[in-house]
Amino acid sequence: MTFVLRMAWRETRAAWARLLFFFFCVAIGVAAIIVIRSVIQSVRSTLTREAREIIGADIVVQSPRPPTDEVRAILNQELAGAELARTEVVQTRTMAAAEKGKGNGKVKLVELRGIETGFPLYGSIALEDGTLTPQLLAGRGVAVTPEFLLEMDLAAGDAVKLGGQRFTIRGVVTKDRIDNGGQAFAFGPRVYLALADLRAIGLLGFGSSANYRTFLKVDERRIDDITSRLKERYRDSIVGVRSWRTFEDRLGQNLVTAENYLSLVGFAMVVLGGIGVWSVTRVLVQQKVKSVAILKCLGATARQVLAVYVIEVLWLTLSGCVLGAGLAAAAVAAIPDRLLAPLGIATVAVTPSAAAQGIAVGILVSLLFALVPLLEMRRVKPLLLLRVDTAGEARRGDVISRLVAVATLGALVLVAIWQSGSLRAGLFVSGGLAAVALLLLGASRFLLWGTAPLARSRWFAVRHAIVSLARPGNQTRVILTSVGLGCFFVLAVRAIQINLVDDFLSQIGATSPDLVLIDVQRDQVEAVQSVSAPYVIEPPRIVPLMRARVAGIEGARVHLPTPQAIREQGTLTREFGITYRDALQANERLTAGRFWNGAAPGPPDPAADAEVSISEEVRDDGEVGVGDLVRLDIAGQVVRARVTSIRHVAWDETQNGGFFFVLRPGPYLARVPSTFVGFVRTGEDAARRAALQRNLVDKFPNVSAIDVRAVVASIRTVLDNITLGISVVGGITVASGVLILIGAVAMTKFQRLYEAAIYRTLGASTRVLTAMVTVEYGVLGLLAGLMGALGAMGLSWALATYLFDIRWRPAAGLLSAGAVATAAVVCVVGLAASVDVLLRKPMATLRE
Amino acid sequence: MIELSNVSRTVRSGAGPLTILQPTSFVIERGRSVAITGPSGSGKSTILGLMAGLDAPTSGHVTIDGQNITALSEDRLARLRGEKIGIVFQFFYLLPSLTAYENILVPLEIAGKADPRARASALLADVGLTGRGHHYPSQLSGGEQQRVAIARALANDPLVVLADEPTGNLDSATGRQVIQILVDVNRVHGRTLVLVTHDAALAALADEVIALKDGAVVDRRVRGLGATPPAWE
Repeated sequence: MTFVLRMAWRETRAAWARLLFFFFCVAIGVAAIIVIRSVIQSVRSTLTREAREIIGADIVVQSPRPPTDEVRAILNQELAGAELARTEVVQTRTMAAAEKGKGNGKVKLVELRGIETGFPLYGSIALEDGTLTPQLLAGRGVAVTPEFLLEMDLAAGDAVKLGGQRFTIRGVVTKDRIDNGGQAFAFGPRVYLALADLRAIGLLGFGSSANYRTFLKVDERRIDDITSRLKERYRDSIVGVRSWRTFEDRLGQNLVTAENYLSLVGFAMVVLGGIGVWSVTRVLVQQKVKSVAILKCLGATARQVLAVYVIEVLWLTLSGCVLGAGLAAAAVAAIPDRLLAPLGIATVAVTPSAAAQGIAVGILVSLLFALVPLLEMRRVKPLLLLRVDTAGEARRGDVISRLVAVATLGALVLVAIWQSGSLRAGLFVSGGLAAVALLLLGASRFLLWGTAPLARSRWFAVRHAIVSLARPGNQTRVILTSVGLGCFFVLAVRAIQINLVDDFLSQIGATSPDLVLIDVQRDQVEAVQSVSAPYVIEPPRIVPLMRARVAGIEGARVHLPTPQAIREQGTLTREFGITYRDALQANERLTAGRFWNGAAPGPPDPAADAEVSISEEVRDDGEVGVGDLVRLDIAGQVVRARVTSIRHVAWDETQNGGFFFVLRPGPYLARVPSTFVGFVRTGEDAARRAALQRNLVDKFPNVSAIDVRAVVASIRTVLDNITLGISVVGGITVASGVLILIGAVAMTKFQRLYEAAIYRTLGASTRVLTAMVTVEYGVLGLLAGLMGALGAMGLSWALATYLFDIRWRPAAGLLSAGAVATAAVVCVVGLAASVDVLLRKPMATLRE
Repeated sequence: MIELSNVSRTVRSGAGPLTILQPTSFVIERGRSVAITGPSGSGKSTILGLMAGLDAPTSGHVTIDGQNITALSEDRLARLRGEKIGIVFQFFYLLPSLTAYENILVPLEIAGKADPRARASALLADVGLTGRGHHYPSQLSGGEQQRVAIARALANDPLVVLADEPTGNLDSATGRQVIQILVDVNRVHGRTLVLVTHDAALAALADEVIALKDGAVVDRRVRGLGATPPAWE
C-alpha cells in the first residue's frame, strides 16, 4: 500500500497541472449543484421557519364569497373551546388615483387588504416608522408600499382615492411577509385599510371578486385536528382551509422537488466534465503505457498499477471538487441582494448538505468516467519494452472493461435518480443525456466520414487538416460532444424564448385589447360604453362573466350526481369563467348539436333551467355529450343546463374571450350573480389609455382597468429573467466545452509539436501550419455549431408543438448565427492553444 | 539457475504465423555470465523476454531457480521479477516523472522492503551518482540514466540480471563505465548475468557466448570454469 500511495503521489506531482484542468470542468458542475442546492435550501429553511409568520395565523379559512351563516356555524362548532383569537381579512382589487392636482395623475390597479383588530395574529408588518396596526388605519387611513408612492409620485400624508372615496396615506410598508392566500399573482401593489372602511366604500358588492379570510389562533395541540376536521366539513363547498403546518409541509415538499430537478442541470454539467475526464484519462493511459510496462518489469502487479492511477484520479477529483466548492462559495457570496429578495431570503451560504452532495456527485462521476480507460492499464504487457509491436495486442476484447463500462452507465443512472429524487426524472435525464451524447458521437463519425473526401483536396493545408481530425487521440468526438452540447443549451433556450415571445406578441397583436375592465356591474354596462367612446378605436366589447364550478353531471356516459363525485372523477374540478350570449364568436366552430337562436322563451325542459354549449375540451375531459345535464354552481346558485351543442374553440385567437361553458340567455340569469368584463382598444397612445383609466376611476370606482400592455411588459421581463438564467447555465456549459477544447489541444500537443517540426523540415511555412490548424478547428467548430443548432431547432419544435401548443418558428437567423459563432470560437481557441506549436523552432522539438 | 527446454516462439504477422525462435534448449548455471549475440532479428531479445517472464513461449518451458515460470499468471510473474530478476534495457526506461533516487526506490517499495531509502542511497553511491539523486531522467546524460537503471535492477538483490543491449545507446566511453558496473555485478557480487549484445568485445567478457541466427542457436562457446576471464581495460 505504501508503494501505491507514494507512486500515486509522484505521478500526480508530475501531471497535476495538465490534468487538473479537466477536473476543473467537473468542478464547474459541482459548483452548479452546490449553488443551486444551497440557494433553494436557504429559501426552504427560511420559509418553513417563518411559515407561521407568512400565513399570519395558525389556521386560515378562506372563501371567494362572504362566509355564509352555515360556514360560520361550522367554524364556531369546531373551534369551541380551542379558539384563542380570530380576525377577518378581506382582499379585493380596485383602481387607486391621486386627488386632482396631486401626484403625476396616474391611476393604478391595487390589491386592497381590509384588516381589523388583531391582524396579524403572528409576525408583524413593518412600516418606515413602527409597525402596522389596525388602529393606525381607522377612519379612512391606508398603508401603502414605497413602489406605489414612487409610481404615483405621492408621499406619506397625501390623499389617495379608492372606490371614489378619499383616504390618507398614514404609513409606508417596508416589510410584509403575510402571503396572498396561496395566490401566486398580484395585480398591483398592496394597500392596507380598515376592514370597516372597505365594507363602507361599496367595493364588495354582489358578484364582485374578493377573497374573504378568517385568521385563527387556536390551542397549539389542536391545530392539526381542527384543520383536518374543518377540511372534512367544508369538503363540498368552496371554502378552503390552510394551517401553517400544512403550508410548511407543502412548501417544503415543493421546494425539495424544485431543488432536485434543478440540480439535474448541475448533474448534466458534471457528466459533461466527466466526458472530458474520460477523454483525458484515455490520453493519459496512452502516454503512460511505457511507465506501466516498466512498473510491471519491476515487479508491480496489475492491481497495484491500477490502484496507483485510480488514487491519482481520486486526488485530482477531490482537488477539482474542493475547487468547485470554493467556486460555489464565491458564486453564492456574489449573488446580489436584489435577486435574493424575491425569494424571501436575505442571505445565502453554502450549506453542508449541498456541499456534500455536490462533492459526492463530482467524485462518483469522475471516478466512473475514469475507470473504464484506466482498466486498460491492467492489460499493458511489459514485453513492449523489448518489442514495441506487442503494444497493440492488449486492446482487444476485454470482458471486464465492458462489464465495468455497463456498470458505470448503470451507476450514472442511479446518481441521476438520486439527484433528482425521482425514478422517472432520473431515467428521463439519463436517457436524454445518452441520446444527445449518442447523437453527437454519431455526428463526429459523420464528420470524419463526410469530410474524408476533403483529404484529397488540392490545398495542402485542407488535406492535412482533415487528416489531423482523424488523428488517434485527437479528441475530435469529445470536443464535438462538449461544445455541441453547450451550443445546444444556449441556442435551444433562445429559440424557445423567441417562439414563446413571438406567440405571446401575436396573441396580443393588432386585435387584442389594451385595457381589460373587470367588475363592471350590469347597470354600468351602457354608461361604461359611453364614457369609453371618445378614447377607443372601436366600440368596447363588454361580456358577462360568472365564476362557476361543475356541481354535477347526469349524462349518457357518466353519472356524477354530487360535487364530491366530480372531485373524485378529477377532470372538471377547477373554477371556470363562464358567460352567456346568443351567437357564436369568430374563433368558434360548431362540431355537434345546434347553437340556440336568441334568448330562451322560458324553461322548455322540466329538468333544466337553461341550455349550455360546451367546448371540445369539456366533452373530452368530462366525457360530457349533447343531451347531458350539467349542474353549475355559480356563486352559490345552482343552474341546471342541458348540453345542446359542442364548440371547437381556437384558443390562440381568444382576443374575444374563450369560454369552456356558454349559457343561453334567459330569465333564470336574474338570480345568478354576474359581473361584466370589458375589452377596450385604445391604440398605442399611452396618454389616451391613462386618460380613459382616470375617467373610469372617477365615474365607476368599483371598476378595475387592467393595462394589458403593462402586464405584457412585466411578463416579458419575467421571461427575460428566466431566459437569462438558463442562458447563464448554457454559457457555463459552453465555457466547459471551451475548457475541454483547450485541454484537448494541450494533451495532444506533444504529437502536434513533433508533426509541426517534421512539416517545417519538409518546407511548410508558419502560414501553412496556421491554415491547417484553422481549417481543422473551423470544421470542428462548424459541425459542433450545426449539431447544437439542429438540436435546438428540434427541441424548440417539439416543445412548441407538444408542450406549449403554439405555432413553431424556426428562428433560422439566430440558429445560423449561433453555428457560425461556435465555429469562430472553436477556431480562435484552437489557434490560441496551438500558438507555441506554430511558433516553436523545429530543431528544439526534434532534438528531444 | 535458468533453464530453457524446447522453448519456441511464434507470432502472428500480416503474412501468417512467423516463428521468431526455433525450439531451443540450454541451461545457465548460477553465477555465470552469458552473452547472447547475433544479428538483428535473430531472436536475442525474444530469448531475454522469455527468461524475464515478459513473454510466454509458444512451446516448451522456462525454469528460473527451479520454478517453471511458463504457467505463472502475469501478477505472479511480476512478483518473480520483483524478487529474483533485474532487467537493464537499451533505452534505460526510467520513469520520467520520478527522480533518479525515486526510480531506484520503486522496486524496493513494490517488494515492501524495510528501510528502502538507505538501500536506494547506497545503490546510488555504488553507481557513482551520489548528489544526482534528485535529478529527473531528462536532466541526466545517457550514461547516467543507464547507471540509474542498473542500480534500479539491483535494488532487490536479484539472483539474475538480464541486460538487453545495455551499451547500445551510449558512446564508447560511457559504455565502458556501464560495462564495468555490469561485470562487477557478476564477478564481485556473484549474480547470474545474461547480456544480449551486438558488441563482440562485451560478449568476450562473458563466461559463455550463445550465438543466434534466424531464431536458432548456431554456436555456443563455454570458456570453461576456472579459466581466467579477460580483463576489462
